[in-house]
Amino acid sequence: MASYCRPRTVSEVLTALAGAEGHGRILVGGTDLLVHLRKDPFAPTVIVDIKSVSDFPPAVEIGDDVVRFGPTARMAEISSDPFIADHLPALCASARVVGSIAIRNRATLIGNICNGSPAADTAPALLVYGSSVTVTGPGGERTMPLVDFFVGPGQTRCGPDEIVIRVDVPIPDRGHRSAFQRLTRRRGVDLATVSVAAGVDADGGIVLGLGCVGPTPLLTDASPPVDLNDPDAIEGAVEELVSIATPISDVRAARDYREAMVRVLAVRAVQAAAAPLEGMSS
Amino acid sequence: MPDENQGPSSNGQIAGPNRVVGQRVHRYGGVDRVTGAQRYLSDITFTDAAHVAFATVPVGCAAIDAIDTSPAVAMPGVIAVVHADDLPQPVARFGISHKDRPVIATKAVNYHGEPVVAVVAETEDEARAAANAVVIHYTELTGVYGLDAALAGDARLVQDPSVRPGDDLNSTNVLEQVEYAWGDADSEGASSHTIIEDTYMFPMVTHFPIEPGGIVAVPTDDGGIEVYSPVQHPYLLQRTIAEVWSIPLSRVRVIAPDPGGGFGGKQTPRYEPLIAFLALKTGRTCRLVLSLEEAFQMMRRSGCRIHARTGFTEAGELTFHEMQVDFVVGAYADVAPRVMTKGSYVGAGPYRIPRVSINARAVLTNTVPSCAFRGFGAPQVGWATESQLDAGARALGLDSLEMRRRNLVQHDEAFIRGDYEARADGRWHESLEKAAELIGWHEPTPSGRGRGISVGIKPGATTGLSQSMVRLLYDGSAMAYAGTSDMGQGARTLWKQILADELGVDLDLITIISGDTNAVPFDLQTSASRSTVFMGNAVLAACEDIRDRVLELYAEATETAQSELSHAPGQLVTPSGAISLVEAAQTALGGLRGEFVGQGTSRLWGTKGHPLGGDASFYEFNATAIEVEVDRVTGEILLTKHVTVGDVGTEINPLQVVSQDEGAAIMGLGHSLMEQMLFDEHGQILNLGAIDYRIPTFNDVALEMQTASVENHDGPGPYGCKGISEGALLCTAGAVGAAVADAIGTPVRDLPITAERVWRTIRDANCDSPD
Amino acid sequence: MTDSPVRPTSEVPVALELNGEHVRATIPAHRTLLDMLRDDLGLCGTKRCCAEGECGACSVLLDGELVNSCLVLGAEADGGALLTIEGVSMDGVTDLQEEFLAAGAVQCGVCIPGQVMAAEQLLQTNPNASRNEIRDAMSGNLCRCASYQRIVEAIQNAAAGRRTDA
Repeated sequence: MASYCRPRTVSEVLTALAGAEGHGRILVGGTDLLVHLRKDPFAPTVIVDIKSVSDFPPAVEIGDDVVRFGPTARMAEISSDPFIADHLPALCASARVVGSIAIRNRATLIGNICNGSPAADTAPALLVYGSSVTVTGPGGERTMPLVDFFVGPGQTRCGPDEIVIRVDVPIPDRGHRSAFQRLTRRRGVDLATVSVAAGVDADGGIVLGLGCVGPTPLLTDASPPVDLNDPDAIEGAVEELVSIATPISDVRAARDYREAMVRVLAVRAVQAAAAPLEGMSS
Repeated sequence: MPDENQGPSSNGQIAGPNRVVGQRVHRYGGVDRVTGAQRYLSDITFTDAAHVAFATVPVGCAAIDAIDTSPAVAMPGVIAVVHADDLPQPVARFGISHKDRPVIATKAVNYHGEPVVAVVAETEDEARAAANAVVIHYTELTGVYGLDAALAGDARLVQDPSVRPGDDLNSTNVLEQVEYAWGDADSEGASSHTIIEDTYMFPMVTHFPIEPGGIVAVPTDDGGIEVYSPVQHPYLLQRTIAEVWSIPLSRVRVIAPDPGGGFGGKQTPRYEPLIAFLALKTGRTCRLVLSLEEAFQMMRRSGCRIHARTGFTEAGELTFHEMQVDFVVGAYADVAPRVMTKGSYVGAGPYRIPRVSINARAVLTNTVPSCAFRGFGAPQVGWATESQLDAGARALGLDSLEMRRRNLVQHDEAFIRGDYEARADGRWHESLEKAAELIGWHEPTPSGRGRGISVGIKPGATTGLSQSMVRLLYDGSAMAYAGTSDMGQGARTLWKQILADELGVDLDLITIISGDTNAVPFDLQTSASRSTVFMGNAVLAACEDIRDRVLELYAEATETAQSELSHAPGQLVTPSGAISLVEAAQTALGGLRGEFVGQGTSRLWGTKGHPLGGDASFYEFNATAIEVEVDRVTGEILLTKHVTVGDVGTEINPLQVVSQDEGAAIMGLGHSLMEQMLFDEHGQILNLGAIDYRIPTFNDVALEMQTASVENHDGPGPYGCKGISEGALLCTAGAVGAAVADAIGTPVRDLPITAERVWRTIRDANCDSPD
Repeated sequence: MTDSPVRPTSEVPVALELNGEHVRATIPAHRTLLDMLRDDLGLCGTKRCCAEGECGACSVLLDGELVNSCLVLGAEADGGALLTIEGVSMDGVTDLQEEFLAAGAVQCGVCIPGQVMAAEQLLQTNPNASRNEIRDAMSGNLCRCASYQRIVEAIQNAAAGRRTDA
């Protein structure tokens, strides 16, 4: 049977996880955890509810160079924060399409990435901004680029006795622009079939974050500078970048459709990012 | 002619000086539904109830080798662990047309989700935990999960021939087949200018009621049983329980709480005989509340493959229409053979066609047994026929509205010919023209968009029996007893309106009793949009019966000759003028008080030899027009306009007509655009649950949507009404498909028309094109 | 509260404010707020359908925010303030509920309590919502009778009524 505890400090969280002997599951929003619990309600899961922890970083902390998200940063706050909308528009747009309002009132950014799903909506944008993840555990604290955090479907570099305590997102230069594009099976609330975040720097260099087209969310290399007024140039650059995609067929789409769509969405995301002041269009 | 075929109060005459029929009366039971006070099955408290959970195997076809219940029996709270060997042998089978469904899986599993073991325990958690602990040893068999596999010469039989003794087809997976044909095959060649031949697919979809459902069985002291189930047909369930367990009908009480969505999925008994057995065996109240996933494994619409060949003159007149229609019915018959015969009966549509040949089969597969689902086979077959008309129009360069104008039958003209012909019972061109007008058919289509218009038809009930009782109480309040299940269509609101007008009683003073076989007289079923017509007429007759009785007793009490009295809706007309029926009733009843009890029966006899058992009492006819914008790169479809027009006869409650029409139309978008049950090679449902089985949301409704009715007061129900609950779903797919084809220049022939399918269609068309 | 913050318990005592009243209960760790409301506290107005956050039938307001009670543990409600459909309806049918009835939004009715909760939250957070904003905001609440058009109309009418009253 499952059991439940509610630690008040990070150190108590680690104690609880250590005591759980691999059965510990961290609970914040619960929007993924409870779906799993429902499927296996009688496993000896130790639910570690961290919403009462007092020494976490604040949910959202806007610094000079970085926006720092703590474990309790929820999609609702992220998608409605004017600073994030202005400086991290692809992240804002992706947080806004996570589930329904009721889901966004609970689901957290860190929960979204810790689930390790290739379809995590916010992952492509976080990757494009060069985010880093800080994990703490019995062995101390370590920080790594988000791209290294993802290992495979459902797998991350956060061990069973560890916890992600923050995600740092560097605030891009003013010349940097970004946008998010997503394809779903219906117009109402849905999981992504393919998602793409695009970042374009002042020189026209493009970087893409890709969702649902590999075992993890993917980050492309940066392209050489591209003439953003030249659709063919954008298409050419995108074609190169998305070659890292290795989609599979599943209930949401077939491989070849995903292969085609990741290109389409990438071009559209780059164009949306490059369009003056329209990266925010909903 | 049809005008003579109406209900007792007929001729389009609206009753009563204070008429509420025709008004937007709020839904009966609506307040409880908005406040959360409505008690659906799972909301009802039973003292000392034990809980039931099932154990299943994760494949669609298996032999059960052995079952080890010992780990479950030892678990806390467990009362009983039951499988086929624990039931009276041979394990009873039941069903309407075919008694093929066993009470519990017996030696074999025939579809993913079929219960193999039932656990009864003190709590829901204990029941589930114990069900998880049961070990079922099974051998997976090569199941047949699709039409080709099922129809292959060496196909494994889904049902052992012994289940269908004496059936010529029992060595095949064809459960039933039917043929409809008329006209002279030799005449077509000369007259056909263009012939279109293609194959169309309609997906398996599931009802997805927001109340998944459940069953509670309570053993009674007299050896009988009370079964609570949110069924559409309480009397069918009562009969089934009585027959399976040899209990007299008088000791089987079925209580049917309002279904939280039915759509056809809650008509027939499935697990009720098993839960009743568990209750009788343990002597405990046994409660099963289904998950949504379990509901998926209990109800679905039959998928369908239709091969069609259709001829047209140069002017676009239909010359012939041939169809091979194969319904994927699943592991047990349920009502699928009827879905097949009834759906394909109208397979050629409401058109004037000199020659028609339709061959239809109900094909068994190792999948969830299919059942009734709004539209009942007509949407599947209609998808192909409507698409064929559009393909013909494109080939001939003809407008698709014009194509329908030229072929749609006129009022009283036969659209089904042969021995048992059927004639149009409505002025269907009016609906077609209204739909065209509402969508602005004659205005140019905005760039990047496409438009489609389509019509659909479905036969209403072909036999029926509804009985009702109405009581007019001394204080001027009234009660109606009517067995119709109110699953959202708002039947009780209509009975209230009828009583209010016919008896002259305030709406607020009327109570409707339903859903209890111990209290309410017999009603055959709530299906086929029949209730407003059948039960409506029974309620109307019961009201007239009361007026007769008031007149008789009033005559006696006031020593007036009966010949000097007459009655009208809500009134008794006396020599000194009209008085209210309630006042007359009070005078008649006098100091002893008492009440008046009226009875009404509405019966439709079948026609011997008719392929449907009889002529349909009415046809639901609908015209739908849709406009879409298609993203040609991703294949995504945006619905910009959606209009639908129904031939309703008379709107008894315009508010409920709009709700039902919009609801049916939007539900139709589901199988048109996104819904489909997907199976893997083991027969497991891949998208089992709400996360990957998509149904329309608020955002999936068209940007502009409008429903409308044509009212000619030409139906057989009260005040000239017809049934209406399915019409707006019948041709949604045809209209969507035509609109998409108009937008992208190529038709998509398989439903649902997902973005991916549109993309694939465009890509393949580009590959095929010469440039 | 659990007695020790790091010692997990399988039965969790909770104390919360439910529709304005203080309530105490003990709930198994894996049981959801939805389970607790329906099975332990006897409040069945909150409905169960998908039980995985897709349908919205179990919508409630927890600390003033719309949540799916199937995705919240009963244990998590400890110390919270919860408003359910029973609380909304405590003083009779609200203006919003009346508009649901008048618009013909109520058919089978199982989704309606959740729709009312989501609509109530929307009216509070965005009283001037456009038709498209209403559709978007309500997309987490499924209605298989597909009363969507009717519900949008009901919300628009309720919003208009509140603006007039204000």
